[in-house]
Amino acid sequence: MEPNLISKKDLLEEKGISYGQLYRWKRKQLIPEEWFIRKSTFTGQETFFPRDLILARIDKIMNMKDDLSLDELADKLSPVLPDYEMRKSDLEKRNIVSSIALQRFAAEDAGALVYTFDKLLYFYVVDKLLQAGEMSMEEGERLLETLREHFPKFAGKACDLVFTRKMGVSSFALLSAPSELYFESGVKVVARISMTECIEQLKGKWV
Amino acid sequence: MSQQQFNQGDLIINGVSTAGGGEYGRVKIDGVGTVEGDIVCIDFDCDGMTKIRGALAAKTMDADGMFRVEGDLSAERSVIDGYMKVKGSLKGDSFSINGQLRVGGNCEIESFRAEGAFEVSGLLNVGTMDVLLHGRGKAGEIGGETIRVKRKSSGPLNKLLSWVMSRFATELHVESIEGDEIELEYTHAEVVRGNRVRIGRGCSIGLVEYRTELQAHPGAKIGKEAKIGG
Repeated sequence: MEPNLISKKDLLEEKGISYGQLYRWKRKQLIPEEWFIRKSTFTGQETFFPRDLILARIDKIMNMKDDLSLDELADKLSPVLPDYEMRKSDLEKRNIVSSIALQRFAAEDAGALVYTFDKLLYFYVVDKLLQAGEMSMEEGERLLETLREHFPKFAGKACDLVFTRKMGVSSFALLSAPSELYFESGVKVVARISMTECIEQLKGKWV
Repeated sequence: MSQQQFNQGDLIINGVSTAGGGEYGRVKIDGVGTVEGDIVCIDFDCDGMTKIRGALAAKTMDADGMFRVEGDLSAERSVIDGYMKVKGSLKGDSFSINGQLRVGGNCEIESFRAEGAFEVSGLLNVGTMDVLLHGRGKAGEIGGETIRVKRKSSGPLNKLLSWVMSRFATELHVESIEGDEIELEYTHAEVVRGNRVRIGRGCSIGLVEYRTELQAHPGAKIGKEAKIGG
């Protein structure tokens, strides 16, 4: 058995949930279709899930379902970009994106300029990597360009950002998730970030 | 579907006609009507032979007669009498059909009630499902909270027909059924998994897994049964 997958039966047992709940959450789009992985085993067809993703998601649903309706939860968890907007000054005030990053990447924008969610997301992702100390400012600029150019192509589908470095030369890639990716030796994966998770985190800042 | 109020006009077809898709308030088709393209409306009501060459999204739907949708169908509340075929997927809050239903993709319905025959190629995901079979039922998988399948006691003609041609047998054929409360009759499945499971007459199940309770009719065939969890 692949260690990063969990079977449906084990999942239900580990989390103490029922089949009905799982199907209900799927109907409500709380669990994305692409996490249901069908594999044939010696007992016939079985469904597996990416272990970390599904366990985290179910914890999240169980924690939030007392406060929010399932539909509200679905809005929060969906990878589709919401039409939230925010002024640049508020972004800085609420510390969603650090002022250093904003000065560097959005110096020419006025404080009252309103960013759409996708713009915010790009800044958020770049800032996240900068704050983690994994990326230089110059690389941040390239990442921002990469995101602007390619992220809209995923059109609401889940995707990951991969940041690699080999012999000091860095590169970025966006790939649809979940997918497996292997590199030649010498390539260091500096970061792999789920954009869907970033969207969720960023949406969480509106509350 | 979006909650916005359409101030578009209505689409009314009487007789034999073809209309274009688009956004409408109310759609009423009597006779033989074809809609070319996707259609979004609040009320959809058709009688006779209706064909949608595209997807349909409606708030309420009432279809009688022969009704075909070539794309996806989503409707909050649907009442269907007659034959309905959806090539894509089917979504809704409440869906009730008397007659025959065929869906090419997956179904996601909160409350599904059917009397007659049905065929769903993909996953039939339901909150509650209440089916009274008069003909053959078929689905890839069924999953949900409450799943109840019963059979109408068949008359002599039906018995003869199902004896001659087994594909007309009044039975449900499905790979797997997973749910909380499951009650089955005349069902052939490889696997049934649930909390409370009742396997009624005429069933043939390869493996039953249950958490709290299993009741089996003496005439039902069960290959293997297992109690799991606490």
